[in-house]
Amino acid sequence: MTLYLRAFRTAAAALAVLLAALGLSLPLAGADLQIAVHVQAAEVVPVWDPSDGASGEIALMNNVYEALLRYNAVENTFEPILATSYEKSADLKTWTFKLRQGVKFHTGNVMDAAAVKFCVDRTIARGRGSAYIWGPVDSVEVVDPYTVRFHLNMPAPLDLIAAAGYSAYIFDPAYSDSDWFNAGHDSGTGPYTIDTVEGREKVIVKKFADYWRGWEGKHFDRIVFLTLGEASTSRLMVETGKADFVESLPATDIEALRNNSAVRVEVNPSLQNLMVLYNTQREPLDNPLVRRVLSYLIPYEDTVKVALGGYGQVARGVIPHGLWGHSDRVETFTYSPTVAKALLAQAGYPNGGLKLFTTYPAGYDDIRKTVELWKAACAELNIELDARAMPTAERNAIARSPDPTKRQDIYLLYWWPDYANPDSFLSGMFYSQEKPAYNLCYYKNPTFDALIDYAITLPAGTPGAIDMMVELQNMLQREAPGIAVWDMQYLRVTASSLKGYVDNSAYPNVVFWYNCYRE
Amino acid sequence: MWRRLREAARRAKRNPLTVVGLLMVALVIVLAIFAPWIAPHPRDIQVVHPNDLFRPPSLEHLFGTDEMGRDILSRVIFGTRISLRIGTLVVVLALAIGLPLGIIAGTFGGLLDEILMRVTDIFLSFPPLLLAMAISAALGPRLENAMIAIAIAWWPWYARLIRSEAVSIRERAYVEAARAVGTSWPRILLRHVLPNCLAPVIVQASMDFGSVILTSASLSFLGLGAQPPTPEWGLMITVGRTFFLTHWWIVTFPGLAILLAVLAFNLTGDGLREILDPKAKRW
Amino acid sequence: MISYVTRRLALSLLSLLGVSIIAFTLTRVIPSDPADMWMGPHATVEQIERARIELGLDKPIPVQYGLYVAGFLRGDWGTSIVTKQPVLRDLGTYLPASIELILVGMIIAFAVGIPLGILSAAKCGTSIDHASRLLSITGVALPSFWLAMLLQLVLGKMLGLFPLSGRLDFTMEILHAPHRLTGSYLVDAVFTANWPVLRDALWHIALPAVTLAMYPLGLSTRLIRTTLLEVLGEDYIRTARASGMRESKVLAVYALRNAVGPVLTVGALTFGYSLVSTFLIESLFAWPGLGRYAAKAIVSVDYPAIMGVTLLVAATYVILNLVVDLVQAFMDPRIRLS
Repeated sequence: MTLYLRAFRTAAAALAVLLAALGLSLPLAGADLQIAVHVQAAEVVPVWDPSDGASGEIALMNNVYEALLRYNAVENTFEPILATSYEKSADLKTWTFKLRQGVKFHTGNVMDAAAVKFCVDRTIARGRGSAYIWGPVDSVEVVDPYTVRFHLNMPAPLDLIAAAGYSAYIFDPAYSDSDWFNAGHDSGTGPYTIDTVEGREKVIVKKFADYWRGWEGKHFDRIVFLTLGEASTSRLMVETGKADFVESLPATDIEALRNNSAVRVEVNPSLQNLMVLYNTQREPLDNPLVRRVLSYLIPYEDTVKVALGGYGQVARGVIPHGLWGHSDRVETFTYSPTVAKALLAQAGYPNGGLKLFTTYPAGYDDIRKTVELWKAACAELNIELDARAMPTAERNAIARSPDPTKRQDIYLLYWWPDYANPDSFLSGMFYSQEKPAYNLCYYKNPTFDALIDYAITLPAGTPGAIDMMVELQNMLQREAPGIAVWDMQYLRVTASSLKGYVDNSAYPNVVFWYNCYRE
Repeated sequence: MWRRLREAARRAKRNPLTVVGLLMVALVIVLAIFAPWIAPHPRDIQVVHPNDLFRPPSLEHLFGTDEMGRDILSRVIFGTRISLRIGTLVVVLALAIGLPLGIIAGTFGGLLDEILMRVTDIFLSFPPLLLAMAISAALGPRLENAMIAIAIAWWPWYARLIRSEAVSIRERAYVEAARAVGTSWPRILLRHVLPNCLAPVIVQASMDFGSVILTSASLSFLGLGAQPPTPEWGLMITVGRTFFLTHWWIVTFPGLAILLAVLAFNLTGDGLREILDPKAKRW
Repeated sequence: MISYVTRRLALSLLSLLGVSIIAFTLTRVIPSDPADMWMGPHATVEQIERARIELGLDKPIPVQYGLYVAGFLRGDWGTSIVTKQPVLRDLGTYLPASIELILVGMIIAFAVGIPLGILSAAKCGTSIDHASRLLSITGVALPSFWLAMLLQLVLGKMLGLFPLSGRLDFTMEILHAPHRLTGSYLVDAVFTANWPVLRDALWHIALPAVTLAMYPLGLSTRLIRTTLLEVLGEDYIRTARASGMRESKVLAVYALRNAVGPVLTVGALTFGYSLVSTFLIESLFAWPGLGRYAAKAIVSVDYPAIMGVTLLVAATYVILNLVVDLVQAFMDPRIRLS
């Protein structure tokens, strides 16, 4: 076969030479272009509309669109982007932002207060993706062309919200038709603008000449965002210098990559964990004892070792490491088959004999391995985890079935907050819901609900608020409607030649390519 | 010249490949029956070994260990059971639907035949893999459901094949004669039509055994078939594809197992055809 | 002739109608809550409700089907839940890459399979024949995704001869931006005289095309061998031989003519199936084709996309079959159309 193709290639090359001689060949224009390649784990642009995003498009969108502020999760500071400064009222209900002047959209129009108001109003009205982060906003007021004021109906950290990685982008009101976006266009203010689109698997962006920060110094001219779908080929790309940045390679690859000088591996904290939700409305998991039995049967240390290759931590409470509200004062389960066995007898199943219908998202190796370890441990006590990897839409149809007998016993999922907000982990999955959205343990506890209602009125990160978070997590620990298994770490693999990249856990998987260059 | 060709054709019938195929099929069956005794680490179907991940092939683990530390050889051996089960069940199920329908349509003809042929037309213009994918998605991801799905995509082929055989048999003199002396239809079907349909069906079924194993592997690749940690070959490849560039043995051996098993059934079917049904050239 | 074609067309339409009903029913039977795909992850209770209404899932299924068919005939094939693009536009995006891959694969298959089949028939019973039979049966028995991985491992990674995935090198794509005429890089590159792109595209398509070629290769070798063996036994060949025609000429004249039938059949059959069944090859080689799109649609229960792909592939298949039958009848007067 090789010979065959050689012949093909030779023929093609010969033809090329011939035609070059005839003066038909293309000039090698722009051979000195600086091109960066960003390999993603899943589709590059699941969502094109800047109002609607909430998933993988974050990496591309943050290079094309900008928000008012950018949050630095490590230093807990805000960098002014489209806003140059802002003020908040003492009750945290009125926020006034001064906008940067002379910022142009990629369409040529000028960014101003009216545009900001339009975008926030539009995002709220569409109500898709992470739009609900704007929930506390009552109205947006244009004070003057470069001043915009937000009126809230409750105290909220609007600076954090305005810096969110999703649904906080500002775009040109004159070019804001959803179909127009969906056809692969953009109207942002960011350093890059969409150039070529190939399905949702590959998008190439190019420099926007009028970018407000200018193009002094070293920058990339083009960025190729693509997904290969296969971890193995992604890995080889970065090893052979064909990719500059690869997000989330399997941990098993990392050790080998660390010995490769062409590649740099960064281990960064994440706000993402693996949650297990038990069906608290149905036998046998309506019994808290059985829920505890299962929680004692997870080989936590082994899951971190095997599933995460050691790059992660056993969870302590549902709020992950690195987010305020995480605390050593939260009690936790450990792997203990003997305790589990005793509890199982106490619950009335001395010989096991349970069969539990478990669903987990398809396509995630770390979750699958965790489930396999758990399944093996459960089998020792004659508990069968009937675990099935399923696509989200199908799994959720079962989980949200109006008929409770059709629902699963155990539901596993990744959780991450939409902005650095611990309440997301508590109310998202455990606050009573008449029709379940993500409270897929179907947990109903009025005391818990009341405490959450109180907790979210406390100023973020203060000792009182932290105490509340600890209290709430310990409550979950006792009742065990759901538990966290491990907290992830993000493994970023970059070419050694890539400079200027800084990980920012508030914008997972995002490389701010404007700041990067190759050396 | 002509004689030489005929001589050659006759020799082809006593094809050594058929013998090889039959021997391989026998080996698969033996492995499946005695899997727990043959497999060096029979417990690795369930148990995981966090300290033995990714061991390359060695004397202890001839095919190496996988990403959960399990012995791949043992899993491949147990996989024969699953593949045989899939093949048998799907072929039997597809035959159970296709055989009666095909015989009835072919023997009685008329409106019944017309309707049945239109239905098979519909199924035949449905891309089979797509149909199997959709059905197993509808039934939920389980090995059993995947088998049902494949069978539903498969039966029209049998119905078609059997119908055409039945039609040609119907015209034959002895069936005409039987009818003339007043033999009842069920009797004719059972005594004359059915036995004569069997040869092409057996050939087709043994060939299909291989295709079914391949199709089921494809469904596993999509996550629509067996669930981990079932040692189904397709699933083992699917899971191993994350590591195949660095740990080649994880996908290589299960893939080899599929290749050899499918090859075995195809060779056997091919040989059977030349013995039972020398006229047929359809694949 | 005309009435035959009309009848076949009418039956084809009937089949397609049946396919659409089955596919539609199937997709609605799959338990699915597309809210998270339509609205974004972590959908709220309100978003879930709204998604159902926006997607028309609150209506009874027969009504939904009626609306779908009405839209379909108007050229509105619905909007994909996953990509949020009109399905027709998606098909236009992904189809050319698939067709390109399949055609190149089939060219390889026939370039090897036809000579091999002829050789096998000519040397029937010899070790060459056995070898080619083994090769053809192996070609059919090979799990394509496994072969793909082995090729990537050996020819891609270890020997570094071929790229592992994609259709074109990025630098190539940016520096010599291919001008889109047909969506096939090979064809477009030839038409626009873009030789660097042509070379690079050929280089990229090699491994996936070879993988894809194995099945039709096995099938065509096999069919040609059996067809020829049959033909070589017929009276007119004997006459030809008796009148002193040389064996190589007999093969060249009669073999080639008789190879047309099987080649057409295999071609049509494989083409129709491959549109979907290449998804394994396409995912491994990150080839942005229809198979990958279909697989993704099925695992995410993207109703409109599944319907679109199913109908497109079924129609292609039905039409190709008809065309093959007509061409065969045209070429071989012995075949009667009935």
